[in-house]
Amino acid sequence: MKIIKVVFLFVIIPSLVLGAISCQTLQSAVGPKAKLEVSPAETFLSPALIRKPVTFTGSGFAPDEMITVEMVLPSGMKMKGLKEGENVVGIAVGNSDGKGNFKAAMKPIATLNWFFQVGWTPLLKPNFKEAKPIPPGVYKITATGLDSDRVGTSSLKIVPPPKKKK
Amino acid sequence: MRKQTVIFLSIVLTICMGLVILSSLAFAKEVAYLSLADYTGPIAGLNVPADMGLEDYIKDFNAKGGVDGVKIKFIGIDTRYDVARAVSAYKRYRRTPRLLVVNSISTGIGKAVARLIERDKRLQLVPGDGEFQAHIQRTFIWGPAYQDAFAATLDWIMADWKAKGKSGTPVVGYLSWDNPYGREHLRGGKEYAEKLGIKFLRPEFFPPGSLKHDVYLTRLAKAGANYIHAGGVDPTPTNVIRDAHALGITKNIQMTCDYWGPTALGIGVHAKALEGTVITSFYQRGEESRNNSFVTDLWKKHRGSMDKFNEVYGMGMSWGMTYVAGLKVALKAVGYDNLKPDDMYKAYQKITGFDKHGIQGVCAYSPTSRRGSLEVKIYRVKNGKIIPITDWRKAPDAVSLHKF
Repeated sequence: MKIIKVVFLFVIIPSLVLGAISCQTLQSAVGPKAKLEVSPAETFLSPALIRKPVTFTGSGFAPDEMITVEMVLPSGMKMKGLKEGENVVGIAVGNSDGKGNFKAAMKPIATLNWFFQVGWTPLLKPNFKEAKPIPPGVYKITATGLDSDRVGTSSLKIVPPPKKKK
Repeated sequence: MRKQTVIFLSIVLTICMGLVILSSLAFAKEVAYLSLADYTGPIAGLNVPADMGLEDYIKDFNAKGGVDGVKIKFIGIDTRYDVARAVSAYKRYRRTPRLLVVNSISTGIGKAVARLIERDKRLQLVPGDGEFQAHIQRTFIWGPAYQDAFAATLDWIMADWKAKGKSGTPVVGYLSWDNPYGREHLRGGKEYAEKLGIKFLRPEFFPPGSLKHDVYLTRLAKAGANYIHAGGVDPTPTNVIRDAHALGITKNIQMTCDYWGPTALGIGVHAKALEGTVITSFYQRGEESRNNSFVTDLWKKHRGSMDKFNEVYGMGMSWGMTYVAGLKVALKAVGYDNLKPDDMYKAYQKITGFDKHGIQGVCAYSPTSRRGSLEVKIYRVKNGKIIPITDWRKAPDAVSLHKF
């Protein structure tokens, strides 16, 4: 019984303290100041997104670093091209300026692949017959500085398309 | 009390031994290879068989015990040809223990990831971007640069022109994808054409996915092209030549292609239209590839019938062979425990002259070269088959002609 107490005092408690400290360190490395805005914050899926894509603006990143913008998929959601259990997909990429600000837009291929989940014909044309648009919902969006590891978060709401007037 | 202590110590000992066994299993000697590939996107038609060749080669290598017990873990990511997805995937895997090589299968992806590769002191492979030869860093290309291969095509064009008894120099047109890949050939290739005295028409660029190419082809034909070089990754060049054939252009104009020109994929659909097409390639094509038993034995072992065989399978094997050659050098230099990605980068520069079983020319990586090989071979589509019309020949250095 004594031994158990000793193990508890000298192993478990220090482990918990160390764990808490490392979480704290990680939090500061990530940096709480990075910010991300998604525009529009709410949209429905339509071909108009190819011409006027979803854009991302951010601040608080390290100067002149590459930023990856990712969409987090809800648990259990499958996406063409992603492996089982993979729940994050890159949807845009940009570079911060000298002040740590960045702006990036989704390229047509990203909109087609990750929003519409199109197939591709042998002619390299997107095949909308095989498309499987992502369902309406609120998707978490993150922007990560690839040098600083700073993360800004926001969300994108996909709403059902408006009903056509008869 | 003593009995309790003995029981307690026995339990602790058992747990410790279990942990040792588990950790030895979990930390089996392994090195990683990341393929930022396209399995379901626009260039999947060629990328899938290429990565099949690589994966099968790695499977066999691992089954034979690896190098001193060190085995390769293949990580294949489907980027669907999207830079954003590739960068995000690299972020996810960049901290994989002993991730020694990243193969970025797209010129655009390669350019984006290169910056991160430098930061991580790693090694990247990309298709044929001459910029990485012009500015020597940690990115290596699979064969000669795009512009080198294009210059070799121009040499062949000059020789063909003379062989036909024509005087002066020919007029050459160029059309390709409107993206970094499509433009890369001309960064040095255009200068090489000027050097040869070739009249080079204003190049035509079209978006990947174009259904028809008549407008571009007609414009080049009307401008007096004797030869038209059709870029894009197969089946795009096949479709361009299909359109040229339908327009009747191929009767008077010789069509040429780069190393992503028609493969078994295009020939299987438009053999008649492709008849006579000339392809400049750094890797074995068509019948030659089908007769290379080193390649076909592996295909048959893992994939069975040769019906769906594509020659890029051999090119994928070549990536695996090069990785193993580099791994041997790196392990010899520093051993497994000290092995870092930077050691693989150093090793790749020491495998100059490494033989690739005829799949492509010998390895040309060195401290001053990022080219996977220097040679190309010219092939021609004859009776629905891709036949070599030259031996391996060194491609001109067109990269050095361009100011990057």
